Amino acid sequence: MELVCLGLNHKTAPVEVRERFAVGNTKLGEASQDLLKMAGASEGVVVSTCNRTEFYLAAESAPVAMQRLEQSLAEKVHGHEEPFYRHEKAEAARHLCKVVSGLDSMLLGETEIFGQVKQAYHAAHAAGTTGPILNKLFQKVFSVGKKVRTQTSIQEGSTSIGNVAVELAEKIFGHLKDSEVMVLGAGEISRLTAQALVSRGAKSIIVANRTHDRAVELAAEMNGRAVRFDDWLGVLKDVDVVISSTGAPHTIIHRAEVESVRRARKYRPLFLIDIAVPRDIDHSVGEIEEVYLYDIDALDQMAGEAKSRRLQQIIECEKIIEAELWKLL
Amino acid sequence: MGVDRWFLIISTVLAAIAGVRGLLVLSHGRKSPWTVYWMIGVLLCQIGYLMVRGEMRGACPLRSIAEISVFLAWSLTVFYLLVGPVYQISLLGVFTAPVVVIFQGFALLPGKMDSTPERVLNTTIWGETHAAVSVLAYGALALAAVAGVMFLVLDRQLKEHHLKGGLFRFLPPVRELLVSLERLLWLGMFLLTIGLVAGILMPHESEGAWKHVLIATGVWISYILLMVVKRVRGITGRRFALGAVALFVLSLGVFAFV
Repeated sequence: MELVCLGLNHKTAPVEVRERFAVGNTKLGEASQDLLKMAGASEGVVVSTCNRTEFYLAAESAPVAMQRLEQSLAEKVHGHEEPFYRHEKAEAARHLCKVVSGLDSMLLGETEIFGQVKQAYHAAHAAGTTGPILNKLFQKVFSVGKKVRTQTSIQEGSTSIGNVAVELAEKIFGHLKDSEVMVLGAGEISRLTAQALVSRGAKSIIVANRTHDRAVELAAEMNGRAVRFDDWLGVLKDVDVVISSTGAPHTIIHRAEVESVRRARKYRPLFLIDIAVPRDIDHSVGEIEEVYLYDIDALDQMAGEAKSRRLQQIIECEKIIEAELWKLL
Repeated sequence: MGVDRWFLIISTVLAAIAGVRGLLVLSHGRKSPWTVYWMIGVLLCQIGYLMVRGEMRGACPLRSIAEISVFLAWSLTVFYLLVGPVYQISLLGVFTAPVVVIFQGFALLPGKMDSTPERVLNTTIWGETHAAVSVLAYGALALAAVAGVMFLVLDRQLKEHHLKGGLFRFLPPVRELLVSLERLLWLGMFLLTIGLVAGILMPHESEGAWKHVLIATGVWISYILLMVVKRVRGITGRRFALGAVALFVLSLGVFAFV
């Protein structure tokens, strides 16, 4: 029995091709059964995420199974450049280890892929398309993935501005369920950052924008409330996090204004995120004891450092994968 | 060398290992899961020391500055092991262990610990309660000071954007540190109040004993003021943490009159 992997991902295929191969979570078992018929193999698993679709097979002859599968899929790639990559035997197992460890992901080290592959395997197992080869392979690969993630820093640090802001907010406030967030300006980055905070449980979102209708729109999108732009100072005493990105040509939050609400805030920590260029928040605001002020450069630098730390971890991850594969094969 | 001293030496060495090893692991960007076990070892040896000394004294071993130091270190270790899970336990241990080493190292200094301690013949319930509960209170206040130091480190890192390394990664969040600090202070104050009342009610045979009570009252008032200001008016985290650390250090002066 030989192991085969045929797949396409964000590196080899544009989204219009990837979407033709995408399989919904509820259809993964069914897709694995179709895969066995298409390739004439004895075992098969279909892995499908927004960035990749991969077919894992155990067959008597790898080249024959691969050829039959490619012929079946040829119609879907008609009119596009060849989008597939192919791995056989040990190389297929190595590739799956890298996928599960997040080394082949668009966002290096991302954690979601581990659960997605696990879900795909369970669906195939439930559909009866796995056997001794793929069961052993996937079980081993999951333990390798766990080892890579616990023994290296491949998933540590945030690599986007929104996630860096969330990470810092959690370092200041812990669970965000008791934290209120005010968004000044309804631009795209502030929307994404606010969304990242909401997704991590922020208690409420208050939006203030010069165009009030836009504030209402953004607030509705995030189940928050809108206030008039001129009223933001009145809200400051209640919030824990301020995301500012107004597009104003001058600073709009000054030390005196923040000082004026300190007593009412009982000197609680205040996290200010200034993602505007030119900056919205006067730098002297950061000198107030309980204020933690971060501008876009600081956030961007942190995201960049996390990215480079992850890149440095690739060699370590590959060493673990090789050592574990050696035990498997 | 007596068994009591051996217990104390082993306990101090274990605390030193917990602190140094914890810091080394932290410098490699990881958190040592062993700190808590080292600290359990520290606690067991402290208990051994206190039992032997208690047997020698025939009373609660709080009759000399060395015994008080060890009792204080024991109390600090107990509170760390009790409240540790609220924080990220091994990191609090890394901060607690050096304080334990300082207290116990002080007790081990030549001339501080009597190898044949005088047996206590006259004990009163108020006197024993005062000594034991007050030192227990100081354990909670010491741990509050440790949490205060942790806050000050994290606050500085966040203010100056120095966010690399294991220390930043594993320190608990600012708000949780402040909440824990406040809770430990309230617990310490509750125990200190009982200790102080017992101290007033116990018989005072010397002028030094009254000075001791007077200073303890001063410490109690200072802590109450800090807590009331925090609760009623509000205070920045940095000043609250600095207050907890400074008051604890100053309050150790109470033991000069034991």
